[in-house]
Amino acid sequence: MRLQLNFKSGKPVYLQIVDQVRAAVAAGSIRAGEPLPSIRPLAEELRVNRNTVAKAYTELESQGVIETAAGKGCFVRNTGTPLKKKACLTLLAEEVDQAVVQAHHLQVTRAEFLKLVEERLDSFEEQRHRKVAT
Amino acid sequence: MTDHAAIHIDRLVRRYGHTDAVNGLTLEVKPGRCYGFFGRNGAGKTTTIKCLLNLLRPTSGTVRVFGLDPRKAEVAVKSRIAYVPDYVAFYPWMTVRQTLDYFAAFRARWNRATESALLDRFRLDPRQNTTHLSKGQRTQLALITAICAEPELLVLDEPTAGLDPIVRREFIEAVIGAYQEGDPGRRTVFVSTHLIAEFEGLIDEFTIIEDGRAVLSSDADRARDRYQKVYARFAAPLGGTLDLGAARVLKQNGREIEVLAEGDAELVVERLKARSPEVVKTESLTLEEIFVAALQPARGSAALA
Repeated sequence: MRLQLNFKSGKPVYLQIVDQVRAAVAAGSIRAGEPLPSIRPLAEELRVNRNTVAKAYTELESQGVIETAAGKGCFVRNTGTPLKKKACLTLLAEEVDQAVVQAHHLQVTRAEFLKLVEERLDSFEEQRHRKVAT
Repeated sequence: MTDHAAIHIDRLVRRYGHTDAVNGLTLEVKPGRCYGFFGRNGAGKTTTIKCLLNLLRPTSGTVRVFGLDPRKAEVAVKSRIAYVPDYVAFYPWMTVRQTLDYFAAFRARWNRATESALLDRFRLDPRQNTTHLSKGQRTQLALITAICAEPELLVLDEPTAGLDPIVRREFIEAVIGAYQEGDPGRRTVFVSTHLIAEFEGLIDEFTIIEDGRAVLSSDADRARDRYQKVYARFAAPLGGTLDLGAARVLKQNGREIEVLAEGDAELVVERLKARSPEVVKTESLTLEEIFVAALQPARGSAALA
């Protein structure tokens, strides 16, 4: 799992870490039961405040993405997300809206947009299968 | 004690002759935060820091460190602070080892494990005489003396100016790792610098100082959210006027326009979109760009030629 921060994104730094860990879990680049880097080395590597990483991990834990084993660190949770399906979809809708708006400005048609979504889903699925195979 | 701000500065004035080096500065640093103090050379950063350490007396205004007046409670304040100045001098007859022991003798706490870990990390030879250390190595040694004492407040004054990129990187990593790790809630950093980019990830909150006054104080994430650059490209050159509110036009040539929005990016984007652009992009400013924007006088209105 590689994290890359972008101070120009306007997104709070801790949320960038949260989103990227979630994306890494979704893409299978980090799998259930696998440990996340501990706070100190990750903070040093990203050269961000230790508290920022701690805040991101707390958020990931409250979202049910990771769990903390006392004295052992943080791990990706086994069960999927504990959020109710409807809540999940509401959350996701906000993100989709952004893409829809952007598509409009880039004059991407509805058909092209839907095709792209299919392609991206396929691509993630393929990545996940490849990871499982190796 | 923990209820007090780590640093509280209220309407601080420090005058040298007829010059006001600091002229009505107010800021507050909460415990556990990493606070950036950004300003150009001569803006009043070092004078402010010297008032915190009782190396200078304020002309007027108040300075409190953990609720204490550094003039009246100098020992109590200094026992909780460590300071790394931009230029570090050690006793020339001492070795690295002797220098560390000398500093440790003044401190109630001294973390030997951190000391040896940092000596290794910085590849410093304890037997070396301090006169033979490079500028980078002297700064590294000063940082070790500061971190090993496990102070509640670490004050860094232009710590990385004039150092090579590797030393800078290791310096910041040591502040994040060795210093913050100990007791994160009670590890406060106050760093003055004009090399803002390299501290970007570390800074929770900051003040930009110019002519001895605070020009802007903000939470770092909030500032990046507030200051946005909006770029738009149109199919044809824009005619007429385009009211972009208080936003500042940074660049405009033909079909392209770049605007700096301060808190009203949505309005700017909306107004630009009303002209059916081909592309609209927004991007946050980095702290360094915010620093430049805050210190540059506004340039004209947003009306198009």
